[in-house]
Amino acid sequence: MRNFRLLVASLFIVLSSCSQPERAPEEVRVRLAVEPETLSPVSYSDAGALQILNLLFQSLLSADLADNQIKPYLAADLPQVERLDSVSLFTYQIREEASWTNGSPVTAADVAFTLKVLKAPLLNNEFLKPQVQFIQDIRLDSSNAKRFTFVCEGYSPEMELLTGDFFILPAYLFDPEALLQPLEVAALTGSLSELENNSDLKAFAARFNSPAYGHSTRVLQGSGGYLLESWENGKYLTLKRKSDWWGNNLPDAPYLSANPERISFQLIPDNTTALMALRSRQLDVLDNIEAAEFNELRQEEDFLKEYAMYSPDAYEFIYAGINTRLPKLSDKRTRQAIAHLLDVKSMIKVSQQNYATPTVGPVPPSLKAYYNNKLTPYSLHQKKAMELLSSAGWQREQDGWFQEINGNREQLTLEVNYRAGSSNYENAAIIFQQSAAAVGIPVQVQAMENSLLSQNLKAHDFEMFFRSLSGNPFVLNFQPLLHSDFAGKGGRNVTGFGTPESDNVLDAINKADTPEVKAKLLKRLQEILYDEAAFISLYYLKDRLAVHRRFGNVKVSGLKPNYDVSAFTLKE
Amino acid sequence: MKQAWQNIRALWRNETLFRIAASYLGLLLLLILLLPWIPLPYGPNDLDLEHIYQPPFSLTYATKSHPMGTDRLGRDVLANVLYGARTAFFISIPVMALAALLGLTLGAGAGFFGDKGFSTSRRNLLLCLLSLLCLGYYWLYLPVQIASLNLGTPMALKSIMAGAVVVVLLFCFSSLLQKFIAPLRQRVAVPVDQLVMRLTEAVSTIPRFVLILVLASFLPPSVLLLSLIISLTAWTGIARLARAEMMRIKQLPYFEAARSIGLNSRELLWRQAFPNLLGPVLVAFTFSLGGLLALESTLSFLNIGVPPTLVSWGRTIASVRSNTAAWWLVVFPGALLTLTILALYTCSHYLSKVFSSKNRG
Amino acid sequence: MGGYLLRRFLLAIPALWALATVVFLLSRLLPGTYGSERILQSGTGYYSKGSETDRQAAYLSYVKRTGQDMPLFYLSAGPATHSPAETAVSYTKQTQEQLTKLSWRYGAQNAKAYIQSVAALKKQWQDSYHNAVPGNAVAVHLQTLQAADNTEPLVDAAEEIRAAAGHPRLRRAADNVLVRLQAMQPQGSLAFLLPAISWHGSQNQYHQWLVQLLHGNLGNSYKSSRPVLEVLVEAVGNTWWLLICSMVITFFLALELSVLMAQKKENRLRKVLLPLLFMLDSIPPFVLALLLLVLLANPNFIQLFPVFGMGYYMPQELGLWQELMQWAYFMALPLLSLVLFNLPYLTSQIHSAISAAMQSDFTRTARAKGLAESAVIRKHALRNSLLPIITIVSDFIPALVTGTLIVETVFAVPGVGRLLLDAVLSRDYPMLTGIVLIIAAFRIAAYLLADMAYAWADPRIRQRMT
Repeated sequence: MRNFRLLVASLFIVLSSCSQPERAPEEVRVRLAVEPETLSPVSYSDAGALQILNLLFQSLLSADLADNQIKPYLAADLPQVERLDSVSLFTYQIREEASWTNGSPVTAADVAFTLKVLKAPLLNNEFLKPQVQFIQDIRLDSSNAKRFTFVCEGYSPEMELLTGDFFILPAYLFDPEALLQPLEVAALTGSLSELENNSDLKAFAARFNSPAYGHSTRVLQGSGGYLLESWENGKYLTLKRKSDWWGNNLPDAPYLSANPERISFQLIPDNTTALMALRSRQLDVLDNIEAAEFNELRQEEDFLKEYAMYSPDAYEFIYAGINTRLPKLSDKRTRQAIAHLLDVKSMIKVSQQNYATPTVGPVPPSLKAYYNNKLTPYSLHQKKAMELLSSAGWQREQDGWFQEINGNREQLTLEVNYRAGSSNYENAAIIFQQSAAAVGIPVQVQAMENSLLSQNLKAHDFEMFFRSLSGNPFVLNFQPLLHSDFAGKGGRNVTGFGTPESDNVLDAINKADTPEVKAKLLKRLQEILYDEAAFISLYYLKDRLAVHRRFGNVKVSGLKPNYDVSAFTLKE
Repeated sequence: MKQAWQNIRALWRNETLFRIAASYLGLLLLLILLLPWIPLPYGPNDLDLEHIYQPPFSLTYATKSHPMGTDRLGRDVLANVLYGARTAFFISIPVMALAALLGLTLGAGAGFFGDKGFSTSRRNLLLCLLSLLCLGYYWLYLPVQIASLNLGTPMALKSIMAGAVVVVLLFCFSSLLQKFIAPLRQRVAVPVDQLVMRLTEAVSTIPRFVLILVLASFLPPSVLLLSLIISLTAWTGIARLARAEMMRIKQLPYFEAARSIGLNSRELLWRQAFPNLLGPVLVAFTFSLGGLLALESTLSFLNIGVPPTLVSWGRTIASVRSNTAAWWLVVFPGALLTLTILALYTCSHYLSKVFSSKNRG
Repeated sequence: MGGYLLRRFLLAIPALWALATVVFLLSRLLPGTYGSERILQSGTGYYSKGSETDRQAAYLSYVKRTGQDMPLFYLSAGPATHSPAETAVSYTKQTQEQLTKLSWRYGAQNAKAYIQSVAALKKQWQDSYHNAVPGNAVAVHLQTLQAADNTEPLVDAAEEIRAAAGHPRLRRAADNVLVRLQAMQPQGSLAFLLPAISWHGSQNQYHQWLVQLLHGNLGNSYKSSRPVLEVLVEAVGNTWWLLICSMVITFFLALELSVLMAQKKENRLRKVLLPLLFMLDSIPPFVLALLLLVLLANPNFIQLFPVFGMGYYMPQELGLWQELMQWAYFMALPLLSLVLFNLPYLTSQIHSAISAAMQSDFTRTARAKGLAESAVIRKHALRNSLLPIITIVSDFIPALVTGTLIVETVFAVPGVGRLLLDAVLSRDYPMLTGIVLIIAAFRIAAYLLADMAYAWADPRIRQRMT
């Protein structure tokens, strides 16, 4: 009995004698919500992996988070574009200084190798493959090993970005036996069935598809400023700065940086626990903080002394889609009435604690030149909604709104779908349900798994849904999303939006030469979208993050990952 | 039957704790049934977007206030706690009843018939198997395919009709066959006990919670489906108990006597065995009900298998994760949940005392 | 003894196999595998990265590479009018769907011929007209031809196109479509009721999966594309010590408490402790874990413990003792929750086993011999209640799994429970199958161990087993 009590007492003493571990000041500790499935530069899938890969590898072009501009990273300059009849040419020059970890220079041959890896069959590259399929060939410059030209099919505005938007791999590490050397990039377009029996390719695929190529610290070495030091599964990843990286102190590219000595990504899946880790000063950076908690942190003076808090405008927005193909929703006045029942203000308040901006269309309000500020975003207006319903032919009766459609008496009911497990959509749907019930429209709310939802949307098997879209400030190509050419089953235009005018406007936006013309067209597009009310943009989100005050040069931005950890400098 | 009722009344007179627990449960049930007529300032799904994350007792304005605070959408915690109780019982009691029925039938059957007590002709067995196959194809597989392809109800109806026709044909054909082939007429024993025991083992190889999680991942979130899943996994305990009781009753002298005077087996089961089974099953029922309440709220806490519009304790508690300072979201529903489970366990505890002493004595 | 154990083990295998088969088949019957979602879904950006056809092609090569294009099982049954091989993945999703529907209604041969004729018509139209005439009317009818599943609208659309067609080649193509449609008419509407059973041999997904399983390969996770076994071993490694420690501590505490309560002089303690444990048992695990989290690891209240993970990255190497201390520190709260979840059940069970033993004759004799009470309990009562205790411990496994799941979710420990929950939420079926198998195997192993422990504790049983 006595020894039992002793044991309990000593256990408590031992446990309470432990204190919070000491922190090294030059290390940046970042929270990672989901463990990267793989760090393979061609089959990564989540934002965390992308953030880490950006520190290890480099692409030709990338966004500088300080001013949200596309800048040349591995390339010396933005590409020279030449538009011919059916093809367009993008010529790049790689930076003179650029070199791999072993000191050998980054050359056009590495770019060609990367393209082969992205386009070849048998490889685990299906996730990135569609994105580079328009690049048909690469022409190497025989006089300059660092100069090359991409030959691309047709032309679209996002091509410039996409030609520079993949990580360049070191051929010497990924393919030491030069198995892909004999392959031609041009041969990788079209039918590939012959290549599937190519023994070199098979041998390469067997190695490349193995998990080691997404996990090994030996293989995952790029031209970036960091090396993967360790990866403890389920716990953390650490990155260490290269001792003399070529990108340091380039006079024409001060935005290339590798400042912190060591960056560790601590895996904390749960939001609540991540927040508590931040509060106990065990994290230096935390993004995606829940809005309510963010507000609460802002009240705490002790916390504010140590952490700076930011809420940049993000490029992600929530929207509602209505199926215009259904007879009961084909009248745009009915859809406008529904739009007037979307209480955007309350949605923002509840899900985002006001960290969001209502928007009239898919163009971000922060892009002032393109945003149509003559329109006012839809807001809750029950009387107007009821007037619109009456004018669309609906009769108010005891238990709802009825109309004779194609000989059948139909009631106006709605089923709202959204992705399960996300409180943003859930809140929006429930708030909409309440305001629709107030005017007599019964709404059913149904959460769905993402795969089922997208399948239903593509099969046009839905009435109304909430979803989000994210983009960037560089490319505003809404064609696949809104053009009626894409409205067939399986196409991306799931709402069936599209008038002859909107189709013309969408085509014209992609051909616009000057920002003024583009602005005029985009504003017109927003008007049409607003009027048709099939694709109703609700609000643009703001990101919420906290960064420890001992760091400067944080480069907070609305673009993911919202800060550039490689640029962090220790304040004196 | 009468005996059991007297026992419970004696318990009520003598045990204060039992009295408290039972009256708590009774009151709660009454409250749940009368809830739609009780004037609450807010419904459980009414949003009060002006007052989100309101702590309890903080609002004194006018007549409408939130005595237990609100959650992230301004839903009234009081209304949610009360209606949550309603949901919990409305799900748990039918689920438990179904599971008890299933367990009782299978377990009592297994205990009563044993491995040799039930026999039927080979033709019947064959007919059963073939009919099951055909019905599976025409009544389940084809209609599901037709529905998923959106081919319209006429086709589904045709398939169902076809299923019925095939079964009738099978019946006629096998009757005909039976006349000519003698072995088909032979009777064979169906090892009911073995079958049921293997089934129970198979179901309980996997922890029930895991089984439910796995099954729920295949189905869209819906209360009905979830209830069905839980019922289909919850019967094993009662089945084991019923089987053991049945085997014990079978050995009792009065049962042997009844058998020897030639009462048939159905009569025996109904008149003699079931009243005896009732007590132990009641104990298991109240006990499992407590577990089920916890299970239901755990599932809605984990957001698995339950639609988001379903009012439940788990849903209210889960919303504490986005705001850890809102203690009232855990404390009130958590307390009611714990109290209810406690009351059920207490009742079960005392009931088991009574029934076990009666049986031994 | 050995023979008995072997028999029990062999009996457990069919259960495992049936379970894994059910999970596997169910999972493959469901729509929307992980790969299709990731490749076909053009992400959430406004501009598409890659065209629809490129995506489809990439998806096809993915399906082929991962062997998902094979039939599911050795046999398949379906309407004789529809043959799945014909609808193989060489068409777009919309065409596949249309082909399937038309096959059900009018037979596979007819439907395929029709689909081909429409494809020819479309090509004809694109080649000769797309650039010259803004042929929107034709486009609409073409849409109908590619989507509808009933002959009437199809015939109408084809006739419209034929009427609008200016070019003879286009008209010929439209005629061809009409001929195909004509052929589709007479087929009886009950033909789909006739079942056809086809045999696929060993070239099916189930066979491949089973063969791999027998080689100890559980497949690759959809989510991380890492071998399931590897991920599982890691997760088990993280949970293992937590489980063992919690079990040992709980068991030890339960034993000590029951022994304590069995003593006469501790009557008061028993009166307080039993109801307390009873109440503790009534608190659902997730409520308890959340309460602990909110109370003990929240800087707003008391912060005794860190709350997450399995330790921080440390630049310098730690000694074994330090590492152990760190681990204990991080695991304190999860451990505490697990102990609290399981303590009431174990204590009450062991307590009743011991009190039953205390009433038996031999303890009375022992007491009569003048042994001290605690000695009577420890030497006699405890030894004789060993059998029920073994049963209790082996029955305790399911509760442990549930508890671990909750604890790992709330405290973010990367263990099996968390893995299971993630697999359920993201529908990572290979992972799910693996975890279910592991848990079942664990359970069976526990039963076997319990059997062995019985034999060890009771010579009579040992006799019977041989």
